[in-house]
Amino acid sequence: MLHEFSYLAPRERKDLLQLLKKHSSQARLLAGGTDLLCEIRLGTDRPEVLIDVKNIAEFRGIAFSEQDGLAVGAAVTCVELMEHPVVRKRFPLLAHAAGQIGSAQLRNRATIGGNLCTASPCADLGCSSLVLGARVELVSARGTRVIPMKDFFTGVKATQLKDDEAVQRVFYPVVAAGAKWGMEKLKRIKGHDLAVVSVAIARTTQWLRVGIGSCAPTPVVAADLPPNASVKAVTEAALKAIDPIDDVRASREFRLAMVQEFIAKLLPALS
Amino acid sequence: MKIHVKVNGKDYTREVAGNRTLLRFLREDLGLTGTKEGCGAGECGACTVILNGKTVNSCLVLAPEVDGGVIETVEGEAKNGKLSKLQEAFHRNHGVQCGFCTPGMLMSVKSLLKIHPKPTVAEIKEAIEGNFCRCTGYQQIIESVLDATGQLKPRKEEIRRVR
Amino acid sequence: MFDNIPDSELKIVGKGVERIDTVEKLTGAALYTGDWVVPGMLHGKVKRSPHAKARIKRIDTSKAEKLAGVHAVLTGKELDYRVGLYLVDKHVLAKDVVRHFGEAVAAVAAETPAIAQQAVDLIQVEYEVMTPALEPKAAAQKGAPLVHPDLGKYDYVKAVFTPVPGTNIANHTKLRKGDVEKGFKEADKIIEREYTNPNVQHVPMETHVTIGQWMVGDRISIITSAQSPFTVRNLFAHSFGISHANIRVYIPYVGGGFGGKAGIHLEPLCCLLSRQAGGRPVKIQATREEEFSMLPCRSGLVYHIKTGVKKDGRIVAQKMTMYWDAGAYADYAVNVTRASGYSAAGPYEIPNAWVDAYTVYTNKPFGTAYRGFGHVEFSWGMERHMDLCARTIGMDPLKFRMLNALKPGSVSLTGEHITENTGNVRLCMQEVADSIGYGKLSAAEKAREKKTGMKIGKAVVALHKAPAMPPFTGTVVILKMNEDGTVTANLSLTEIGAGTYTSIVQIIAETLGFPVEKVRLPVENDTDRDPYDWQTVASKGLLLSGNAGILAAQDLLARAYEVAAQVLRANPCDLAHDDEKVYVAHHPEKAVSFKAMAVGYAYPDGNAIGGPLVGVGRYVAQGLSNLDKETGQGHPALDWTYGAHGIIVEAHPRTGEYNVIKVASAFDVGRAINTRSVRGQAIGGMLQGLGTAMCEGYRYAPDGRLLNPNFTDNKIPTSLDMPEEIDCIAVETPQIDGPFGCRGVGEHSMIAICGGLGNALQNAVGADLTHMPIRQEDVWRALQAPKKAGRK
Repeated sequence: MLHEFSYLAPRERKDLLQLLKKHSSQARLLAGGTDLLCEIRLGTDRPEVLIDVKNIAEFRGIAFSEQDGLAVGAAVTCVELMEHPVVRKRFPLLAHAAGQIGSAQLRNRATIGGNLCTASPCADLGCSSLVLGARVELVSARGTRVIPMKDFFTGVKATQLKDDEAVQRVFYPVVAAGAKWGMEKLKRIKGHDLAVVSVAIARTTQWLRVGIGSCAPTPVVAADLPPNASVKAVTEAALKAIDPIDDVRASREFRLAMVQEFIAKLLPALS
Repeated sequence: MKIHVKVNGKDYTREVAGNRTLLRFLREDLGLTGTKEGCGAGECGACTVILNGKTVNSCLVLAPEVDGGVIETVEGEAKNGKLSKLQEAFHRNHGVQCGFCTPGMLMSVKSLLKIHPKPTVAEIKEAIEGNFCRCTGYQQIIESVLDATGQLKPRKEEIRRVR
Repeated sequence: MFDNIPDSELKIVGKGVERIDTVEKLTGAALYTGDWVVPGMLHGKVKRSPHAKARIKRIDTSKAEKLAGVHAVLTGKELDYRVGLYLVDKHVLAKDVVRHFGEAVAAVAAETPAIAQQAVDLIQVEYEVMTPALEPKAAAQKGAPLVHPDLGKYDYVKAVFTPVPGTNIANHTKLRKGDVEKGFKEADKIIEREYTNPNVQHVPMETHVTIGQWMVGDRISIITSAQSPFTVRNLFAHSFGISHANIRVYIPYVGGGFGGKAGIHLEPLCCLLSRQAGGRPVKIQATREEEFSMLPCRSGLVYHIKTGVKKDGRIVAQKMTMYWDAGAYADYAVNVTRASGYSAAGPYEIPNAWVDAYTVYTNKPFGTAYRGFGHVEFSWGMERHMDLCARTIGMDPLKFRMLNALKPGSVSLTGEHITENTGNVRLCMQEVADSIGYGKLSAAEKAREKKTGMKIGKAVVALHKAPAMPPFTGTVVILKMNEDGTVTANLSLTEIGAGTYTSIVQIIAETLGFPVEKVRLPVENDTDRDPYDWQTVASKGLLLSGNAGILAAQDLLARAYEVAAQVLRANPCDLAHDDEKVYVAHHPEKAVSFKAMAVGYAYPDGNAIGGPLVGVGRYVAQGLSNLDKETGQGHPALDWTYGAHGIIVEAHPRTGEYNVIKVASAFDVGRAINTRSVRGQAIGGMLQGLGTAMCEGYRYAPDGRLLNPNFTDNKIPTSLDMPEEIDCIAVETPQIDGPFGCRGVGEHSMIAICGGLGNALQNAVGADLTHMPIRQEDVWRALQAPKKAGRK
């Protein structure tokens, strides 16, 4: 049962920004809806207005250049990420992580912007984007700002986003293109599930980063270790970055153990 | 707001509220009750329909979002009073038990067959992973798909009987 | 009803006939209760308790009542009706106290679901929160805080159950066979351990839905997603003091039940709201979250087993104590306790046995029937324990099982003598053992271990179950011949997905000598149209309704022969028939068509004889008795279906990650009526069993809140969670009183999978587990403990 709300679908970016300004905290941006509509159904979120961003050109599409790197519109779906030739070739970790989300039906709807803005500690695109050094473009009627992904997440389901702001694009620097990578996700079944623990590693000639999901209030990254860092060193850095809890999905103890297992498994095998 | 959609090849224009889900729109506004609600939270896949060529959980799509869209549901599968090849295979192979997951299951399989006309077992399993079935254990569903695509080895479908 | 007809002479029975109900289900034409809209229908919503145990201090419904579009608001205060299957302990809405998280405390009927929800949100309930009882063993002790202080005043079925007033024990089932203490003295080893299971949800894909209407003159109309129309009618009549004749229960297509829809659930509340709303029909459709907490689940179990074994492997004594965690209400749990009590040892012979099985009230969502009816739960402990016993005396677990298995000449726990025709559990075990290559690893398996770093383990487990039902359980099938010589069958077993209807059509068609297409069995049930059946539970439907179907077909043919004998001026004993006509056996050209006799045979001049042809078949379970309350001795079992699973699993010796490589299952089905349906039940139940074994189960906060009432955190198996390989075997030892020799197999496939998984995992990596489900974390944790036993 969804409570009554207004549905607005602006076609122009400027209209969207005005609507956001007007409705502010009463509005939620709707992209794939696969998280938002669940929250609304459970009554844990009761916005008055839903503003659909899917019809706005600036929120769509994937662009790549050797100068600027990859720019992904916030309303790009997981399937679009998974199937995009440049993403597959140059940012395979991102394509892989998008494929980890939900079921096929969900991936056809769920968007990168939605996954990041929901800001769940288990967001599959969270730890993978963190290790790729992603930056987030926030837009509002007041202007545009771009912040590093690691500053974007501020707590469990909390971000830097102001009430009148929207995530328009996510940028991935060209330096991360072609990084060696690996990702492991612990689930409770082999079918679709949230990450009970996830670990993503990316390595370039300049650095090595390990991102961890479901082990802290936000996805976290232990960034810029030397590219030849040992399993021991990476593990130490990772354990320093996390503080898992006991919950219905797993215990703290098991999560800590699995993070170590995953690092030990992934690091020697980086593709 | 007013929306125009094409459902199973037929055009509809309806006034819908902002909070109308596609699932309730199909079931309550268009009377197409074949599509079922199993959880309302996008987990079980019972409400799967094909929207603009892609499967979606219709419980997590708003009707106003699909304005101008093309939708396929279970009701469009049989043509001229005849089961489709896929439906016939499900019928033959006991790919249905209680039937509540079936409409969504068919849509996921239909979508798969557009991309992989002769899917492997692994591809079938991957494609229906988002559709819970509590009755069949999936095996006879998988065999139905193999049969529909001419890949079922007859030997495998019967139980071994021992006296 | 077994005529020992060879397969070669059967045209329809024993074949993988297409199901009779799938075309509607494949096209979306099948209407389930949720698809129904009745003129004037209102929508009901429920206010549920957020606490496990609390006193209701005050409920303020004034704002809800004033909301436009609201037609009825109810709380427990205005209602004084109790409902209960065997023990009448549940108010329709909580009265004064709430006893579990999710319990219904108030309800609203309104013109739209949205208004109803809004009204529910406007109802304010003030609670005084109390400390809940969450552990069944602790709750069973004398002096534990009582969940039902009034237990002594409740009505219950006295011939069968034994509540203990002043405690939380809703039923105490006892079984005493031989001299257990003497047996323990004779034993070389005594092995004792405790095993536990959580609550588990059935998860039918269709949640509970009901449309109820209480009209002037106390006429009741119910459309509902239920397994048993006559049980809904009977319990409704008893709870409200209304004549059975005034109550009509209609059951459309049902989207799965698995026991969760066996009793009476939303029906009383819908009807009470309807009465309050001036007789307008009221629909309540449970949300998935409500399905997990407001509606019932499967009881948890703490199972303590003490076994005395001789060095040669013979079990000489066994003491079994079960604490069934019924949750807040007794519902089916008291009968689960009874049925599992008399089956508690599994398919093994125990010369000296002692069972105490307690149904214990706690402040959790209440337990009801669930596929296996207690056997899934206790088999977890028993099959783990059998391996522990075998290991303790240094015997191979399969050899140990074979040695102790029930066989012709054995005496069951209740004193029943096992015969050649009871079934062959040893053959089931042997078949699955062969199928999985028990006892060794193949070259391919060794290579796989090397490649993956995982360790492979194998196990064979065995199971049994008989229908848990009253000894006088009966049913009726009525066959009506239509004008064109086809027949329509009416019965009240429901088709909840298992495929039983197709098998019954096959049995009727085979008996009539008609093709399947000439026998119509409507899927919907209606107590005003169809004759009585007790319930669609217990895997008894095929046997009882199948027999009634045979009798109805024979009766119909006898009626047709009477008419034909007159028309053809022949002795009935000289007649024969095919699917079109009755003819004189030695003059086949002298014939009269069924069509001509269907609604009364008319001579050319208009004179008529016979009247419309109807066949009636009544069947009641034969030779069963209530069990002695002190010793548990008696004859409870219509038939025993035996079975076995062979499981191959691979597991990582450090992380506990595991994959189920193969499950082979064999059941002694007597005769497979529909080979594809048997396979569908075998595999479907196997995967449901793996769900229970691997990932399902309720988890509670210390205050009794249910933490996972949804699919986000209560996973069920998907297609990716299937074993890599599946093998199904039907052993066919004919059941003498089964139609064409068959037995039920609906529940059995789910039983013992858990123990099999646990044993295979222990054989693979040494993880020694006593609690299910077995999540990866549990295996990992067990591997942290010093290895108790590894693979040989």
